[in-house]
Amino acid sequence: MRKSSFFFVYALMVIAQILICNYFHLTSFVMLSILPVLVLCIPIRISTTGSLLIAFVTGFVVDLLAEGVLGLNTLALVPVGLIRIPLIRLVFGEDLISRNEDFSVRKYGFGKVTLAILIVQAVFLIIYILADGAGTRPIEFNAIRFGASLLAGYLLSLILIDTLAPDTRK
Amino acid sequence: MAGNRNIFQKVLNAAIFILMEVAALNMISHNAALQNIWLSRGAHRIMGALWGTSESVRYYFSLRKQNEALAEENFDLRQQLLRAGKNLPVERPDSSAGAFTYIPAEISVISRNKQHNYMIINKGYEDGIQANSGIITGKGVIGIIDAVGKHHAYALTFMNTDVSISARLGSEGAVGPLVWDGLSSSGAILKEIPLQFKYEPGDTVYTSGYSSIFPSDIPLGIAGDSRIINGATNEIKVRLLQDFSALRYVTVVHNNNLEEMEALLQ
Repeated sequence: MRKSSFFFVYALMVIAQILICNYFHLTSFVMLSILPVLVLCIPIRISTTGSLLIAFVTGFVVDLLAEGVLGLNTLALVPVGLIRIPLIRLVFGEDLISRNEDFSVRKYGFGKVTLAILIVQAVFLIIYILADGAGTRPIEFNAIRFGASLLAGYLLSLILIDTLAPDTRK
Repeated sequence: MAGNRNIFQKVLNAAIFILMEVAALNMISHNAALQNIWLSRGAHRIMGALWGTSESVRYYFSLRKQNEALAEENFDLRQQLLRAGKNLPVERPDSSAGAFTYIPAEISVISRNKQHNYMIINKGYEDGIQANSGIITGKGVIGIIDAVGKHHAYALTFMNTDVSISARLGSEGAVGPLVWDGLSSSGAILKEIPLQFKYEPGDTVYTSGYSSIFPSDIPLGIAGDSRIINGATNEIKVRLLQDFSALRYVTVVHNNNLEEMEALLQ
């Protein structure tokens, strides 16, 4: 995917996330978020500094335009921007980084992509749920919310991953 | 060069990350009362832990000063005890406590792994230290001053095969020479105890007072097992109260009548 088209799709996804936050309240146990997978799919040629800035701006825009506490998405999304490159190196290998290539399900397999999605979702959700609860909710509630949100977020991310990280091989 | 750039990049990323997280936390605390309380509580807990840690570190580094102050205080209390003892009815006519001068000192150098161990203390003749003075602590005899310099003195420690101290078993028991066992920093042997003298393992061993160097009744150690030597005397193992491996502050004790006693002996 070309850089300009990626950011067009990225912007559409951010709008979709704002709509999800404002109009799709399934239950208090499920927090649907596609923001972690959006940050994970930022093109590899963009450095960690760049992905940190993109994550911050994305989180801030969603916080500003969606319901909820201002700063929560920003707080949870910036760490995803920080771990993006090391995580890609760990899951997909050094070759992908050195070739400046983006990952896709077809090139690297379902298992590796699933692992990467689950890790970024988990990092995001742990921070989000802890900060949202502010020490007032029981650990059982937080655990159930984490598990349900991880599953929902993973399924949603799997649907979107082909759009965000398509296979560019001819 | 590339390595330096890499490190710089990592530091920069970490700084940007921290800045962004602080900004996010600031947004949260200004927009939600619940999160504000939670973050304040967390911040206070972290500050408390940091303060506690810094206090512990400061306390650790102030221990040396506190030890010195305690040694000074200990010495003053001992002096007061001696002065008070002079005004009390004399229970032991042979007590020579009043005839001694006490000077506190700190060990500068000490050897523990030789057969002839020595130590150097941080007081010399300018501080009133004289040769043939004893070195003691509240837990026993440490050594004998051998040579004195201006600000330091050299002493043979009790962990020396050439040093022997006159010791007594119990408060009124048999007297014999106590020597280092040559094996550990807390082992000694009390020799030449007559066979007819009965004792129990666990009895305390004191300085006898039959010495021109050490006052009487300084506790030295605890008696242990014994064995008969040449069918004539008992040799008793003694566990010293003072462990030489944990020794720093000592008191130099000098017999004010030493010269007079030596003149009479000649």
